Amino acid sequence: MKEAGKVRKHSILTWTAAAMIVGAAGVAVGADMASVIQARQAHYKQIGAASKGIFDELNKASPSATVIQGYAKTIDGLAPQIPSWFPAGSGPDAGVKTHARPEIWSDAAGFAQVAQAFATEAHHFDQVAAAGDVNADRAEFTSLGKACGACHSKYRAKD
Amino acid sequence: MPALWWTAEADQLDWHRLLGYVTLGLVLFRILWGVAGSSTARFSSFIKGPRAIAAYVGDLVRGRTDKLVIGHNPLGGLSVAAMLALIVADVVLGLFATDEDGDHPGPFDKFLTFDQGSAVTQWHHWVFNALVALICLHLAAIVFYAVVKRDNLVGPMFTGRKTSASAVDPMTRAPLWRLLAAAAIAAASAVLIARS
Repeated sequence: MKEAGKVRKHSILTWTAAAMIVGAAGVAVGADMASVIQARQAHYKQIGAASKGIFDELNKASPSATVIQGYAKTIDGLAPQIPSWFPAGSGPDAGVKTHARPEIWSDAAGFAQVAQAFATEAHHFDQVAAAGDVNADRAEFTSLGKACGACHSKYRAKD
Repeated sequence: MPALWWTAEADQLDWHRLLGYVTLGLVLFRILWGVAGSSTARFSSFIKGPRAIAAYVGDLVRGRTDKLVIGHNPLGGLSVAAMLALIVADVVLGLFATDEDGDHPGPFDKFLTFDQGSAVTQWHHWVFNALVALICLHLAAIVFYAVVKRDNLVGPMFTGRKTSASAVDPMTRAPLWRLLAAAAIAAASAVLIARS
């Protein structure tokens, strides 16, 4: 009887320890996904702010090509990183508030395509901006906006 | 109101902005009319302090209907003030708000940073929710008056005519030129802001 009791005590301890380790791992993964999502949102806000910067500049009486170049560089730097912001498990299932739709992972090929198209267009806009012609910037900015929309319409959830 | 809500939901933000300007004009007109319009429309006639409101509520609860009021009763006056305040707030916030991608910003969003614009847009949504709640309450009250108290509140607002059992000071109309002037000033102001 005493032996059986000892075995049970060990079992309880082992199971408790195992549960705690799994629990801690779960919390770590959860916390990790939370920081992934937060970083992602911060990056997108940077793109948004740069995009707004270009928009507001273009609407001024005499827009500055130099100002636009600065914003264009920002977007060009961030755009190629986008796929890396969406590791598996960082979608709605992460338990953290995100507008990322599950299609990003279920339609990975489609997502990769629009993400690449945006990176290409962002680089193209950067080159146009470097040339310094505000009118050309204005024309190209429309294409940039469309590239943003191409991804958002499919892969970003509405409020 | 429904059109303003729907155009925003359906991403028809150019229409939304236009309707916002129309609302601005309407609200400006109502405020001007509340200062210089017909007697029952004037704010001074129905915006009462807390004591008058409490007294009216007391009468209501005790079923004393002999004190007939034309124009807004004190409780209704509170509702009007709250509703106008919320609509003005939402229109003003809308001038500074933007959509998520910055494609359709309000005319004054350019004065704000990206983060400030996001915050203002959030408030623009919250104020609208509060407005919807107040509108529902307002509609429920009108139904209550129509069904329980057998008092048609809305008709006289348009026709200017109401029959009453007890003696009451009739409404004095405002001269037509004041109506036209208020409408013109409100419309011109809205157009000026739209063009800025």
